Amino acid sequence: MQALRNIWFLALATCTEGIRHRALWAIVCLSVLLTFANLSVTTLFTWDLGKVSVEFGLSAVAFTGLLLVFFLGMKILADDLERSRIFMLLSRPVSIWQYLAGKFLGLAMILLLATIILGLSAALSIHYVLWQYPGFMPPNFSWVSYAMALACQWMSLVMVLSVSVLCFSFASHPFVALLLAVSSYLVGQNMELLRRVVVENAHAGVLTGQDNLVFALSWIFPNLSLFDKKYAAAYGIVFSCQEFVLLCLYAISYSALIIYLATLLFKRKELA
Amino acid sequence: MVAPAIIIDRICKSYFSGRKRNQALCDLSLTIAQGEVFGFLGPNGAGKSTLIKLMLRFLKPDSGRMQIMGQTVGQEEFRHRVGYLSEFPFFYDHLTARETLLLSGRLSGMARKKIDQRSSFLLDRMNLTQAADRRVGGFSKGMKQRLGMANALVHEPELLIFDEPMSGLDPVGRHQIKELIIELKQQGKTIFFSSHILSDIEALCNRIGVINQGVLLYAGGLRDFLSVGEGLEERFVKVIEEDNHASAA
Repeated sequence: MQALRNIWFLALATCTEGIRHRALWAIVCLSVLLTFANLSVTTLFTWDLGKVSVEFGLSAVAFTGLLLVFFLGMKILADDLERSRIFMLLSRPVSIWQYLAGKFLGLAMILLLATIILGLSAALSIHYVLWQYPGFMPPNFSWVSYAMALACQWMSLVMVLSVSVLCFSFASHPFVALLLAVSSYLVGQNMELLRRVVVENAHAGVLTGQDNLVFALSWIFPNLSLFDKKYAAAYGIVFSCQEFVLLCLYAISYSALIIYLATLLFKRKELA
Repeated sequence: MVAPAIIIDRICKSYFSGRKRNQALCDLSLTIAQGEVFGFLGPNGAGKSTLIKLMLRFLKPDSGRMQIMGQTVGQEEFRHRVGYLSEFPFFYDHLTARETLLLSGRLSGMARKKIDQRSSFLLDRMNLTQAADRRVGGFSKGMKQRLGMANALVHEPELLIFDEPMSGLDPVGRHQIKELIIELKQQGKTIFFSSHILSDIEALCNRIGVINQGVLLYAGGLRDFLSVGEGLEERFVKVIEEDNHASAA
């Protein structure tokens, strides 16, 4: 029980530190800019204004979330080691797995808060565009699909965060961890495309016939393209609850496994 | 019979710098009784902080074993009975002093009410009451050091491990910390602290240990270490120089 409490206290401290890191103010400013940008960018198009507006809004949420993971999240993790702050925590009865799980949970809470703020801001601008140009309302558009797409966006950010924690646990320098995390994100983002190219194309260059390799890679790297539901939300394509639940299970199990691996690697690290 | 507060048994630790292996601690053994104030002396890079980090499990030894308050380091949990102050205490910049103590108390398994009482008492004792609700990022070095001391004491530990507790403090700050260590000594706490400031060691410690290049040169009573007519500083410098010459030869 104390273990879970330790994780919660560390998560709360990490979340408070992150929120007061001026990051929240940056997010608020960005959400205001996003609202205006969505209004102005959308009106540059002469067709499908509603779809453009939804896709733009969700893309902006994804972009900001990535900035938060790679810069705020990894900075908080790196500062713990570089500024020896970790000693303050590990001189208490706190194990490595509790420390990493607490940090991960705290950062995931910051991402959730940011996703909610940005998602609401984007929703306001989308609502305005759809109200101004009702003729361009996507058929079958639903706010529930939009919210589910937003939740998928957050889950993909959480998976990228777990990979960042893994990279941080074994990299010799925070910059190396950042590079590895960004590379993993790029691979994860294109994993589904790569899988399709190899499986469905007989002329896939050196990867032709390497189905097993690509299959293995798709389990090692996070398959982030599965979580990209911008298209479905913008075009009002029905996206089942069953698929949503499966995505949730995938995100939770993948993140838990990665944090477990990060703990094993971090235990080997010398905190000199 | 009361078990010793610290037992260090033939500890060795080395670091790799590239392909080169540097011996940080070599076959170091030491026993510190409960209620003792033990001063750990040595020049920069002698291995003082390495030993402290090994005691707190931040590092793993190459060989040897350690027991703290009767618990084997690395196998049994003892950290709720230990208070630690690092040489350069760093905290979360955006948490306030009170929130910092709350986090530490919570992680040590204390109840909220008890933490609030202890925090108020310690912040007052460390002259930080005015700054209790200010973010730690804006604190001076001395304030951070005093907060570090409060942080080490919040859960009322039996053993205190201080790594250079007076480093970077002005004379007033040093005096406050010194007074506090005397008070803790009177309360019967076991204190292990490393310091460069020999006058503090002389004023506070029952026993001392002298380390140079990872080897413990002396462990015993302060008076036994001093020759007639020699101060601690003269004696310390002489012992270190003799050891350096012996190593070079």
